[in-house]
Amino acid sequence: MLTPEYVKEILKDYTIKLRFHARGGQGGVTASNLCVDAFYGYGVCQPKFGAERMGSPTESYVRLSENPDLVRSNEQVYGPHFVSVLDPSLLSEVDVTAGIPKGGWLIVNTEMDQLTIQDTVKRKDINIATIDATRIALDVLRRNITNTIILGALIRVSHLFTLEELSDAIMKRFKGEIAGKNIQAIKQAIEETCIYDMGIEPDFTVDSKVPWQQVELGLPGYKQLDKAGVWYLDEQIIPVGSDQVNTGTWGEWEVLWDEEICTDCAQCWYICPDFAILRKKGDDGLWHMAGIDAFHCKSCLNCLEICPVNAIDKRMKQGPAACAVPEDQEGGN
Amino acid sequence: MSIEPMKLFFKEIKEPIETTMIGNYAVAGAVTQTDPDVICAFPITPQTQSVEGLSDVVHQGRLKAAFVNVESELAAISYSTAACAAGARTFTATASQGYLLMTEALPMAVGWRVPLTMMISARAFNSPNLSIWNSWEFTQTNSELGWNTLVSENVQETYDAAILAVMISENSLFPTMFVHDGFIISHSVQKLTLIPDEIVRILTPKKPRHTINTKKPGTWGGIVTPSFFMEGRKGLDEAKEPVLGIMEKAFEEFGNATGRKYNLIETYNLDNSSKTAFLTMGSMCGNIISWMTKNKDVGLIKIRAFRPFPHEQLQKIVEEHNIEKLIIFEKSDSLNGMLPPFSMSIASALYPLGTIFRSFIVGLGGRDVTRDEFDVAKKKMESINSMKGKLYMYLGVRESKEKIMGVEI
Repeated sequence: MLTPEYVKEILKDYTIKLRFHARGGQGGVTASNLCVDAFYGYGVCQPKFGAERMGSPTESYVRLSENPDLVRSNEQVYGPHFVSVLDPSLLSEVDVTAGIPKGGWLIVNTEMDQLTIQDTVKRKDINIATIDATRIALDVLRRNITNTIILGALIRVSHLFTLEELSDAIMKRFKGEIAGKNIQAIKQAIEETCIYDMGIEPDFTVDSKVPWQQVELGLPGYKQLDKAGVWYLDEQIIPVGSDQVNTGTWGEWEVLWDEEICTDCAQCWYICPDFAILRKKGDDGLWHMAGIDAFHCKSCLNCLEICPVNAIDKRMKQGPAACAVPEDQEGGN
Repeated sequence: MSIEPMKLFFKEIKEPIETTMIGNYAVAGAVTQTDPDVICAFPITPQTQSVEGLSDVVHQGRLKAAFVNVESELAAISYSTAACAAGARTFTATASQGYLLMTEALPMAVGWRVPLTMMISARAFNSPNLSIWNSWEFTQTNSELGWNTLVSENVQETYDAAILAVMISENSLFPTMFVHDGFIISHSVQKLTLIPDEIVRILTPKKPRHTINTKKPGTWGGIVTPSFFMEGRKGLDEAKEPVLGIMEKAFEEFGNATGRKYNLIETYNLDNSSKTAFLTMGSMCGNIISWMTKNKDVGLIKIRAFRPFPHEQLQKIVEEHNIEKLIIFEKSDSLNGMLPPFSMSIASALYPLGTIFRSFIVGLGGRDVTRDEFDVAKKKMESINSMKGKLYMYLGVRESKEKIMGVEI
């Protein structure tokens, strides 16, 4: 485990980098902002540049150091020492361990045990911490907002800032009552974090960026793309079209359709913004409802609201649960 | 909303406050402090939050300004120019295609001598594909129309530039734009120190100037025959001459009031062993300064005032420090020219000195500029000893799936 004194020493001459994985709307960027606010030295936070949409996977980055010249760089973060994942469903969708150097930390909001996570991410050289932030959020905040709570786990493993420093930052940013509840939730998170320490410490003095990784070799070069900026569908030089994006993971709800009750009125088909209501032509020559395309459904629930006979229902994708592996049983050496 | 990004600006700022903000909100805050009468802009990524933040402050009641919604950037610049001509302190903001749409009215603001200020979050033009990410589009076009241009490296600088722009505009009676790199600065959260309102008020006093007035009717921008036009242009040319001096004076006044010293050109580690220096502007300077902590044998020249271009000051710096080679980094290209636009300004300034340089085109459309580019450019420069051959190259471009142009891995 890292000690506060050691981390302080490292921060004098090196930068410590963090990455947050979240979904649009979960507040990953706010979490990284709070890190910069709470840190006593110099810090920069960058969201992943581009358009953020509700429910889509997002990333944000933080660089912290006591040396202002090191933080002055606007280079993106390539080798994060601490990665926090706010939504467990991202583990299978995004490469959350990309660039983490040996001995880095992966902090996940989940009720899964650490061994399962290790199997999912296929990395045995990084340390893992878990926190069931969703449950704490529903208990304390009465809302499934986990961005501040995961910072509790981050404090526990990284010692980059203290609970008091983070509380100050939250007080500045949030209104009174909300701030108080968030701080209470963070306190609970610090206590409840489950740590699975592999006994490897990250080498903060080595920067783990792969040379020229920003140029992304493997994608077609300018000579292959030489088509006046046009991507012809049949040539498939690069994957084209929004139908290839798995927007089905963006939603909070699983949408269920009951064939028995459905009257084939097709109102849901007309209202769906993503063509996620499937229909097929029957023997009678008419179109009949056939199901819901889970790959594209963002669970906007327009279909559920418009259905005149309640043939469409919803089910929450992740629910609250308890921490599976208590800290004293696993790891913690 | 549980989070209010502009909260600090809802009441009088009495003493310097250290806080963290994204570049766009910081600009919105600084503009609030300069107490504009009219705010008129059209939203475009990555400029949006600057205007959004201002609408928040106006709505909240802190700022007594007319917040005008318009239907396009051309309307925004036309409205702003007219409001400014009528005597109102006016702020507008744009980027990329919006800046192109403004083109028609941009020279008018210069010709009418209105002290308008405009923020630009630099973003690429759509060619051949649409990109919302960072390039230096503002160097590629319209840079010769006569707008003063300040370029900022980080959030603190862009916050300060919003106040400096008002000072420079109103002292020179030419419109001023201040630029930061889109997303890289506009959306990054960095620490900055806010200036107390009282100091901003002292720095940017509202003073009388020629305005549109019914008591003194006149025609603005009316047609002239060939008997008058050239005189009009020469008049502008002469009025532009003292602007660099006005900028320097504004930097000095600002420095005395806040402790943050700026200059037209800022230099780092120029008396180095290799007599080589990087020359660039904007957020890339930060990347180079970080990289220089491990590469102490090169220097950096950072251009803060891009227009008017401080060519005499640049010549003086290069001569005084005996710089032999310059490595120019820029985020724009020129498909027709011998050099990309930023390098062109430098080349004409360096012409009497004959300094050897090469121009490296990097980071177009938001591609990250890292130590890899700096290492390669520095190495390539070691073997260059003349001004013969091609003077620019793209750096960090995939030639094929396996090869990066001009780089051995």
